[in-house]
Formats: sequence, C-alpha cells, structure tokens
Amino acid sequence: MKDIEFTVKEIKEIASGIFSITLFSDEELPPMRCGQFLHMEVKDDALPLRRPFCLYKFDEHSVTLIVAVVGKGTKKICAMKSGEKVRAIIPIGNGFMPAPEHKKIALIGGGVGCAPLFALKQCYPDKEYKAFLGFSSKDNIVLYEDFKKEYDVVLSTDDGSAGEKGYVTDAFKRHLSEFMPDIILTCGSENMLKAVAKVSKELSVPAYMSGENRMACGVGACLVCTCAVKQKDGSVRNMRACVDGPVFNIADLEL
Amino acid sequence: MNTKVTIAGVEFKNPIITASGTFGFGKEYSEFYDISVLGGICTKGLTLERREGNKSPRIAETNMGIINSVGLQNPGIDGFIKEDVPFLDSLDTVVIANIAGNTEQDYTALAEKVSAIKAVDMVELNISCPNVKAGGMAFGVLPQSVENITKAVKKYCKKPLIVKLSPNVANIADNARSAENGGADAISLINTVAGMAVDYRTRKPILANVSGGLSGPAIKPIALKMVHEAYKAVKIPIIGMGGIMCAEDVLEFMIVGASAVQVGSANIFDPQAAQRIVNDLTTVAKSCNIDNISDIVGTLKWQ
Repeated sequence: MKDIEFTVKEIKEIASGIFSITLFSDEELPPMRCGQFLHMEVKDDALPLRRPFCLYKFDEHSVTLIVAVVGKGTKKICAMKSGEKVRAIIPIGNGFMPAPEHKKIALIGGGVGCAPLFALKQCYPDKEYKAFLGFSSKDNIVLYEDFKKEYDVVLSTDDGSAGEKGYVTDAFKRHLSEFMPDIILTCGSENMLKAVAKVSKELSVPAYMSGENRMACGVGACLVCTCAVKQKDGSVRNMRACVDGPVFNIADLEL
Repeated sequence: MNTKVTIAGVEFKNPIITASGTFGFGKEYSEFYDISVLGGICTKGLTLERREGNKSPRIAETNMGIINSVGLQNPGIDGFIKEDVPFLDSLDTVVIANIAGNTEQDYTALAEKVSAIKAVDMVELNISCPNVKAGGMAFGVLPQSVENITKAVKKYCKKPLIVKLSPNVANIADNARSAENGGADAISLINTVAGMAVDYRTRKPILANVSGGLSGPAIKPIALKMVHEAYKAVKIPIIGMGGIMCAEDVLEFMIVGASAVQVGSANIFDPQAAQRIVNDLTTVAKSCNIDNISDIVGTLKWQ
C-alpha cells in the first residue's frame, strides 16, 4: 500500500450517472492485481472519509476506475476536472487469485459490478475465460464494448432489451453445456450474488466474489468494514473487507 | 525548538499520540511511515477475551465527522501479547495499552496483565466506550463510579494510569476530579460523542447498532471546552483529543490545558496524518515563538 498523489487525466460519463475516471501518477505505481482497489479522498472538508473504488484498468503509471454517482462523495469525485490532483492509497486488498488448477474461469458481472473483473486476463493470461455480463436494461449497459475486445461475452438484460433476456445467472446456466468453468469470479448486486452462490453450490464449482461494505481507513486498522466470514474450523469471525478481502469465497459469507 | 513532554514520569519525544481504535496496533500505518516519529501510540481497546465486535454497518459519515460502532473488536489480551507486542517492543515510541471490560474484575485482571508487559509504558482505562452494552461507559458516567473503578484498577496497575473520560456526562469537571481522587496519574478526553445517523429513504439507522460515537473535526469545539474545564478542576496532566487534524489544533488543545494530545479520526481520513502533524508542529510552534512546547500548556488568556 502506498499513499500517492495522482493527477486526474480524464473523466467521462459512460452511462447516466456512471463515470470512467483515469488517474495518472509520475511515480511508478506498486504492482497491482485484478480485484484490488484504491481508497481516494473526496477533497471536501465536510466529507472526510476516503472512498474505495475497484481498479478497472491499470498499468505502471495509470489506473482507470468506474464510479457510479450514489451520494455526495461520488458526486464530488465525478465533478473533478482533468489536471486536478487527488490522493489515493493503492493497491488495497487481496484481489482475485485463481489457483493453477483453475483453468476455465467464468466471470459473472452485474451492472457496474463488471468493472473489477475486467483485468483478469491481463493478470492471468493463460486461462480460458467466458464473461457473463448482466444489466437491468439496454440503457444501463456499460463496459460491454471493452469486454468484447478481450473476452468471449454473453450479454443479458433483465427486460430483454439487449442480449439474452433474464438474469445473468440464468444466461450462465444456459451456456453450461458449452462452458463448464472450474471457478466463478463475480461481482454485482446482493441479489445477483445470492443467485451466484446458489448456482455455485448446485454445480459444486467454487465462486469468489468481490464484496462491498461501508469502509473508513481502508488500511485494516479501524475495523469498521468487517463482515462475518466462516473459517476453516467452522467458526465465524468478523474479517476486514478492506485488507482480508474484498474478495471472499462466496460459500463463507452470509448473503 | 523542544517538543518533549513528560506525563506521569513518562517522557514523550513530542506531544502527538495516536488515539485508541484509530491506529490498530501500529502495523498497518508502519507501511506508510516510520511510526517511531510519534510521541506515542495508544492501542485498540483490549479485553480479556477475544471479541468480534458489533454487526455491520459500523460506520456513518456525517458533516465533518464519522460515527462508529465497532464495539471493541480485538484479539484479546493473549492474542495481543502473542501477535502485537513484539512489533510494539521494536518501536522507539511510548506505548499505551487501552483496556476495557464488563466488570471491575475484568479491568483489574487486565491491569495486572498489561502491567507485566515490558513494551507497555502506560495504561489507559477505557470507561467511556459508547458501543458496548455492558461495562464500558457504564463505569464512566457517574462521578462516584469513575472514582471507584479508578481506585480498584490503580491497586493492580503497575504502570502510570490514564483514565479516559466520556463527554456524555452531566459535568466533565466532576468526572475529572473523580478520576484524580481515585488515584489516576493522568486523564484523557474526550472519547466520542454519542450520536446517530438516519437514512430518510429507508427510514433506518445507518449503523446496525442504531447509534455510535461521533468523532472528527465536528467535535473539536466540544472537546476544547471540556479539556479547558477539566484543566481548571484537576492537577494531574491531561491528554486532550477530539477532532485534531493539524498542528494548529494541537497548540489549541495545549493552550486550554492538555500536556499532550491524541490524534484519532485524522489517521482514518489520511494514513499519514499523524506524521504530518508531528512534522508541522515544529514549524507552527516556531512561528509563534515557542521554544519549549510544554511552556504553552494551560496558557489560555481569559478574564
């Protein structure tokens, strides 16, 4: 983890209320992994907490984040101008870590929850992938074009206005005969994650999810972002979403 | 410019101490800077047994502040000794162990245990945590119970004892005097101010615990007033805290009577905050022609 001063390189609205923010650092960035996140200041005295965002794209000097405006803090962040300076701690958390035996990986993303899955191929290029991206309707589709360049993608919308009709987990199940994964990596709404947990159990295919919790320090010290995680011995302990996560085995969480 | 301060015979290289619950046991922040630059570190509240704390969400952001309801999640005294003491022992800074319990016996047993740890220089008695059902603040509200618990712990505590006071009381001066009468070597204040946050859309509290403790710049004026009142009431040294964000804030707290300060929420907002405050303190003090930082303690000009 490092606390770095970035320069805002580009901010653009990619769908209603959803922004792509690219930050640049003169200093070389520490090594990053898909599924890790950064913790960024809001630059408003009234809003003292930093905000966590997953890393969408990254290289040695820049990171791109996908930020949905959900409150005062994200509104302020998305109103930054290019050239502005902003501090962030980077990188934080465990990220997605498929094991060597996980050769076929299904990515299941819902809405902006697709973002943390994007860089998997960059980090683990020797795996076989299929990405299932679900959105509520055509107007809310984001990141699809980017994913299509890198992955074999199945698009679905709940209302059928684009791609296959219905929930993303149903689309995933329909394609099982052609793609049976060794592991599922996922991020999305709570309801979607519940459905993924169910299908993971049915198929006995492990699933790892990137979770979210209200967070404060982002470095593992304050213990406010904890979630109940089942341990190997069967006990349940409160673990820190920031540094023990944000990626957990979906079977170990109470969703 | 001399930044040294002495509290109950313990010398601090500067008056900046990181506050309990905002700095873990130091390890996390040592990734960002050499934490031996700090005057001291106060540990997360320790209990006899390991505790899992309250349900999530445990944090709400409010204007210029945060409300937390962590509820003393900690590895327990034995986990602390095994996992964290060796690291703390390697640091060149004052280590204060913050202890909490449900019963008087919990506190006395803990005081005895932490007194035996070489790396621990001082003990801070947490009788002001608003986030646990039993004990905690229950000991810290009525002046008589503050005096009783201080007296009981003092018998078993072989290190200088700091009593951490709650602001959620009728008269802070009375509670400060009770700690002094009970034998406290110093007092620290203020702990968090009881508060809550509500989501008008869902009509639910933000915190799973419904309410919690407010900290951050929002409470600084309350803290300054209480430190000032406590300073007028007692002769033992005071460690001031509540919303300190910068070196100027440190001077304000010292002027109203604090011999040293604790920096809390600022660490959470910015991992390098405490180091920045240490660095800035010398510059700001010099600009006010201060040669000895301890000379300004209690120099508020009023009446």
